[in-house]
Amino acid sequence: MTTLAELKNLTKCFGNRIVLDNITLQIEEGEILALLGPNGAGKTTLLKILAFLERPESGEVEFQGETVTEKNAERMRLQSAIVFQRTLFFSTSVYNNIAYGLRIRKLPQSTVKEETKKALRLVKLEGSEKRSVKKLSGGEQQRVALARALVLKTKLLLLDEPTANLDPKNVQIIEEVIATINHELKTTIVMATHNMFQAKTLPQRIALMNDGKITETGAPAEIFGKLSKNLASFAAVDNTFTGTAKTTSAGTTLVDIGNGVQIEATDQRQGVTSIFVNPQDIIVSKSAVVSSARNVFKGRIIEVLDLGSLVKLRVDVGKPFTVQITKRSFSEMQLNLDSWVFLAFKASAVQVI
Amino acid sequence: MNPIIDGIQKALQLILSGDPAIYGVVYRSLFFSGVATIIAALWGTPIAMLLGLREFRGKSIIKTFFNTLIGMPTVALGLVLYLIFSRAGPLGPLELLYTPGAIILGEAVLVTPLIISIETTAIEAVDPEIMDLARTLGASESQTSLAVLKEAMNGIILGNIAGFNRAIAELGVALLVGGNIAGLTDVLTTGISMWTQRGGPDGLAMAMTLAFILLLIVFGINLTIVIVRKVRILLTFGKSPQ
Amino acid sequence: MKAWQKILVIAVIATTVVIAGTVIYFEFFARRRLRISTTTSLYDTGLLDEMKKQYEATHNVDLNIISAGTGIALQQASSGDADIVLVHSPSQEKTFLTNGYGVCRRIIAYNYFTIVGPGTDPAGITGKNATEALRSILAYGRNQTGQTKVWVSRGDNSGTFSKEQSLWTSAGYNQTTISTESWYASTGSSMAYTLNVANQKNAYTLSDLGTYLSQKETISLESLVNGGKSLLNVYSVMAVNPSKVSNVSFNDAIDFIKWLVSDAGQQVISNYGKADYDQSLFYGTVQPLKDNSPQPDVSWIRDYAFFNGTECPTEYRDDHPELYT
Repeated sequence: MTTLAELKNLTKCFGNRIVLDNITLQIEEGEILALLGPNGAGKTTLLKILAFLERPESGEVEFQGETVTEKNAERMRLQSAIVFQRTLFFSTSVYNNIAYGLRIRKLPQSTVKEETKKALRLVKLEGSEKRSVKKLSGGEQQRVALARALVLKTKLLLLDEPTANLDPKNVQIIEEVIATINHELKTTIVMATHNMFQAKTLPQRIALMNDGKITETGAPAEIFGKLSKNLASFAAVDNTFTGTAKTTSAGTTLVDIGNGVQIEATDQRQGVTSIFVNPQDIIVSKSAVVSSARNVFKGRIIEVLDLGSLVKLRVDVGKPFTVQITKRSFSEMQLNLDSWVFLAFKASAVQVI
Repeated sequence: MNPIIDGIQKALQLILSGDPAIYGVVYRSLFFSGVATIIAALWGTPIAMLLGLREFRGKSIIKTFFNTLIGMPTVALGLVLYLIFSRAGPLGPLELLYTPGAIILGEAVLVTPLIISIETTAIEAVDPEIMDLARTLGASESQTSLAVLKEAMNGIILGNIAGFNRAIAELGVALLVGGNIAGLTDVLTTGISMWTQRGGPDGLAMAMTLAFILLLIVFGINLTIVIVRKVRILLTFGKSPQ
Repeated sequence: MKAWQKILVIAVIATTVVIAGTVIYFEFFARRRLRISTTTSLYDTGLLDEMKKQYEATHNVDLNIISAGTGIALQQASSGDADIVLVHSPSQEKTFLTNGYGVCRRIIAYNYFTIVGPGTDPAGITGKNATEALRSILAYGRNQTGQTKVWVSRGDNSGTFSKEQSLWTSAGYNQTTISTESWYASTGSSMAYTLNVANQKNAYTLSDLGTYLSQKETISLESLVNGGKSLLNVYSVMAVNPSKVSNVSFNDAIDFIKWLVSDAGQQVISNYGKADYDQSLFYGTVQPLKDNSPQPDVSWIRDYAFFNGTECPTEYRDDHPELYT
């Protein structure tokens, strides 16, 4: 594997604040690398540096063997595109947004039309050329932003939280697109995420980030295996808990994660263990339901996030859990901040890391 | 009351008769103020781009400077320009006084601060991240600034129309550096002034005719803007054309 | 930031095109221009528009007429912004000649000033001569209470204002001093405007006959004191001296003066307004001066508007003796 880009002892400051602290990182050609870490870890800044939009205070950025300078950054940017966390568009049609980069590269009109069509097909928005971007849903907007970048077929594609706050259908489409372009076009992709589940399945390599430093890099299996020694990295990732595991007489494992919360898992474990429960595997109810779910907890809603057709809730059952329900269910159950609810999930839904 | 009613009658007759002298005046007003606005926009837009896109020391002083110049009394400016264009003045050898060129340049100077002010606000209102968006899609610095201009286009157009309104409706500059010479530098405003002063039986009618036309032009432009904006809003909220 | 630089370059080019276009057009493509700076009374009556029509039909020159008022006209001429002046203030004209700015003066027209006022004539000036009338107006004015305005003055650089000042002096008053009294108003503006203000205030004012007649339909002031030597109003033309002021169109100016004193020009002057006002607004002076009639008008003109016994002393004739045969 050849190295596509390299950051050497790179430090970036905004005013007095050190955002990236002596970072050294190699990006291999053709890989998908995930930057995993809490908000404020410096993921966005690192991506912007790889997009050649920011220059470091000290250290070097190398791309395809060439050092990136103030003078050649403009030229280099033709080979590296970033999709921002916050969707941003030119006030014009979907077509003109996607065509923008192609036109800059002075491609003939027929090619522009052709490539735009292909890109829209890839993100499953075929025929949307004439629509105004302001009228698209959040998920559709994110897909257009992605199409706008990938249509340029840059060597390096940088994605900042590509699926944050999207409903499952859009998340799936986008994750499929990422996998496809990496596989078909061999595009090198660096993506920042704080979704552990995504970090487990999509990338070939993960770099853990915190406080402007890269704490570890490696394949997902390695990282998640070592996870228990690196609690701090995962403090803010949803539904990840560390606790002590004990096997039960029924052949399952009980993990005590503190504050009286004990989670039953089917995987056999003993001792200090980290576990993860996918928010989508958790059922929310107003009253206790007798079911096959082994894990039932009562808790209070401490945070409500409106995502359009979905609502994301944080529920404190002793430890905070993130769950997702439809808006309809939310209003039918008449839920609110401070409402009491029951969370239920099967022992088999608990993933031991 | 009679002279007024009389005047209105005669005014309507004059407009409908298609009198070439009147249409000459209207044409000159539109042409001089139109070219003046274009020149003001050419000078003002780069300045607005620097003020809107860049940070530098003294920026707020410069912005305040232009904002203050907006209210410049046209006669005062007219006087200053007269002294400059006069044969005895610094630009004397160019013999620009009492020519159409003098009116065009004078009104351009008048209107530039207004255009700068409105365009700067429009540019500043554009999300600064648009620049990074353009850059990451491969735009050069030049293309990046143009992308911002495009986003600010609504405000820019409004600014230019406001500039044209001010130019075509002003009297002091056109009178002092143009001289209201029949067939050469007489425009709507100087015509109204002259005919009002001349008075007499025809004077009032002519003045009212020109005033009516001027009001028609200014209100007409503003009405068109309102209508265009409403139509655009309707189109955006209507069905998306496939 | 190259985009803004590109636009600035276009701005510079556009401005240059406008300037160059103007210069080149007037230098090579337009007809020659003769810039005439004139007193407002000749302009506002429309006489000059008529002259322009006639003259441009037979001469290959564009007349650019700028209405400025006597004082400003003379000033503009001395800075080179006019080629020829038409004014009606002999004292100021003399200064213009002696300072070397003007040459080739000819007297072209005359009429009379008139003191106009409300038909009721509260100050009782009808039948009096000019100086007596002013004395009556002053007495009447001083008798009024509060801010009632009784007299409206031009108060600018015009020939009419010069005449007013000399009339006050003849009446024994200093115009500057009395202008501060509460009954005295000043407009600083043109004759037509001043007449309208006097009309609004039912006050008296001094006007040239031409402008008064052209405003008569819209105002209710009456012409109360007319004629007499003291109210004589004489219009002259002077060319700007090419030796003193550079870049003036001297030859065209001389041609225009020749036309003004020719039969054609004099007819235009004498016929103007007859159709609309049932009387002439102006009288040509060339024939009367030759014929020495009508009297006493011609003698008055000689007394009032001649310098050293002539329209134009020889030293200011600038090699154009043919104008004075």
